Amino acid sequence: MLQTIFHGLTIGGILYIISIGLSLTFGAMGIVNFAHGLIYTLGGYILYTALTTLGLNFWVGGVLAVLTAIPLSYLIERVVIRRLYGESIDYAIIATYAVLLIGVDAIKWIWGARPLPVSDPIGRSIGFGGLDLPLYRVIILGICLLTFLGLSLFFKKTIIGKIVVAGLQDREAVRSLGININKYFAIIFVLGSALGALGGVLYTPITSLHPYMGFHVLILCFAVVIVGGLGNLRGTAVAAFALGLVMAFTGRYWGPAAEAMVYVVMALVLIFRPIEV
Amino acid sequence: MLLTVDRLNVHYGSAQVLHDISLQIKAGELVCLVGRNGAGKTTLLKTIGGFLKPTSGSISFQGNRIDGRPPEKVALQGLRYVFQDKRVFSELTVRDNLELAAFPTKEPLEQAVRRLIGIHPKMEKLLHSKARGLSGGERQILLLGRALIGEPALLLIDEPTEGLAAIIIGEIAQVLESMKARISMIIVEQNLALVSRLADRIYIMKEGAIFQEISDPEHIRQPRHYQDYL
Amino acid sequence: MLKKIERSIPLTLLLIAAGFLAFGYLTSLLKMTDFMIFCIFVLGFDLIYGHMGQLSFGHMLYLGAGAYGAGLSAKYLSPDPFLALAAGLLVAGLAGAVLGPLLVRTTGACFALLNLAFNQVGHFLILVPLAPITGGEDGLSLTFSSYGWVNFSNLTFIFYLVLAVLLGVAFLILKFESAPFGLLLKSIKENEIRVRFLGYNTYFYKWITFIFSAALSGLAGALTVLNYGYTNPSFIDPTRNVEVIFAALMGGAGQVIGAVVGGTAFMTISNYLARYILRWEMFLGVALLLIAFRFRKGIWGYLREV
Repeated sequence: MLQTIFHGLTIGGILYIISIGLSLTFGAMGIVNFAHGLIYTLGGYILYTALTTLGLNFWVGGVLAVLTAIPLSYLIERVVIRRLYGESIDYAIIATYAVLLIGVDAIKWIWGARPLPVSDPIGRSIGFGGLDLPLYRVIILGICLLTFLGLSLFFKKTIIGKIVVAGLQDREAVRSLGININKYFAIIFVLGSALGALGGVLYTPITSLHPYMGFHVLILCFAVVIVGGLGNLRGTAVAAFALGLVMAFTGRYWGPAAEAMVYVVMALVLIFRPIEV
Repeated sequence: MLLTVDRLNVHYGSAQVLHDISLQIKAGELVCLVGRNGAGKTTLLKTIGGFLKPTSGSISFQGNRIDGRPPEKVALQGLRYVFQDKRVFSELTVRDNLELAAFPTKEPLEQAVRRLIGIHPKMEKLLHSKARGLSGGERQILLLGRALIGEPALLLIDEPTEGLAAIIIGEIAQVLESMKARISMIIVEQNLALVSRLADRIYIMKEGAIFQEISDPEHIRQPRHYQDYL
Repeated sequence: MLKKIERSIPLTLLLIAAGFLAFGYLTSLLKMTDFMIFCIFVLGFDLIYGHMGQLSFGHMLYLGAGAYGAGLSAKYLSPDPFLALAAGLLVAGLAGAVLGPLLVRTTGACFALLNLAFNQVGHFLILVPLAPITGGEDGLSLTFSSYGWVNFSNLTFIFYLVLAVLLGVAFLILKFESAPFGLLLKSIKENEIRVRFLGYNTYFYKWITFIFSAALSGLAGALTVLNYGYTNPSFIDPTRNVEVIFAALMGGAGQVIGAVVGGTAFMTISNYLARYILRWEMFLGVALLLIAFRFRKGIWGYLREV
């Protein structure tokens, strides 16, 4: 039982890291960003290349993957996202989905369509209170906690963070002060995407790499964002861990239904608390 | 001439909401816009502030055309918009609110803080409270204090006393009066006692157009001359 | 000029029929049957997207419901093809009726994603818990009975049947567009709140439209099964939603001819382009981007303004 909880928390942690970017973009710009799944996938694939072709160690490869995500996401922001401000949500969905399609095909082209394995970089477990906890997963939780603390500090203490918090609440008021809010939302977009890539890096040793993994995780993240509330940082964390636990417990008792259960929860939340976007 | 609006027309989709608006503001003036709900006062203010694009016509501020420019650029040129409904950044502290406003200007935060306290000494105790906890009157004062940062030339203020108790309205009126010396203002107001006390000139709006301009100080001081238009 | 064709029901139907007859005999009846079935799906989807103005990102659920409704009927009830068609239509319509009341109360991203969520759940149900009867990942292989010349294995027969169904569906939608219901839906698309202020229960009308949309999608699903002789989870696959969205957008949302043009265009790309360009999905993505930014009215949308 505790093992399942630990498992759920790990999944929740990764979901949190990936979903933050999505939640911010959704909340800040009202844009459902399917392309986020692409950056997540690329994070994993670049890590793979770093490990195999470049022979780098997992952590260095991971950092490299996250760093590569930054210019890429900036490109997406400039070429696609920026043009979607104020547009009807449907076109945002279609356009960002198109980016995902293009990217996934490019991935299939470069790396092939077959799943690629990435192994657990540590491979050891530590005993704790009668449980067998894979050290890698403990580290994931640690990274998660650091991310949460880092983001909390960022949004409370830095001026950019405060601008974004204000902008999430009232865009026009921020503009009326003379601040080009779009520029800061773009920064947040890149930050969120980098976190998405980090999520991709962290998750690959747990599952394996395949070109459609982005699409797959994306819907889970939408569930997190919707349950947690758009642009709501604390809500996203709570929702991510809650849904992670849902997945873990469902997975334990009825394996394949784990993900479907998340969608059921999301549907329930949407029914009782529909969002206005 | 500080602000010149010339034959401004604004549409929401295919519906026309402002018809051929022309007005002028001289430096140092406090001009009030009065009219019924739906007369187009907020729309006019929003268009001047850059939040709406006019279909035709021009707006010139300090000799430069500003119609169609984005609001953040207009704000940096010295024209600030103070929204209705006393919208502050509720998740941030009072100090943070000022910090944000000071950020794009060259004004140091401490100066902005001192100015706010100078306007309303009670603010000093509230500096580190979340803006969410402020009363209506305190919020309006915070908004005014925020808008003054960077020393803009013109403020556009939308219904500053709406929903406030009489005593608080009096406080706001004093603040606005004290600002008159340094800054020009266009204020949308429904409270005619306030208008009669503060305004140098009045524009009456009706159905999206300027109906009448009142510049005679005697007429301004007696609301019965214009109260029928509300 | 082209707008006149749009407004005339006989001319529209004639254009569609002539088009497919010509292509059918020029290329292959089998291919064109595929094309036409997809067009029926696009027409069903466009009821929600073009006519009601909302994007569903999970309409494969209804295609799949129709496909499996037909398949299960053929496997477990009777190999009669018309029963299978009816079963498919019914199951899909039912799904629309049950999920509809929840869905039509939402808009925008909520609507799109909720549909996707239901699609995912449906996909899961077919693959796992219902696998004993649905055949899971492998699906079901089916045979249908034939009655003389009514033989679904006969390419010519099925071509004409599907053509007739397509024309029938097109006719129904065209009639619907000019009927009071259709005009009401148009108003709802433009400004639902105002229509509600006029006293209409807009949720009811949206719900009915949704049921029709689901049923038509299910009809397309059932026809697919009859055409191929099998059913499998690819018919309910959530990643395929982009196909029908692309077709509706590319052809021109809200117009019957637009939907048919879009469906044909998409099938042409996926069938023929895939042979010459290996990375046709990338091409599709780029095309989708261009359309979303520059050519929102779709092919027919621009042609009709000429």
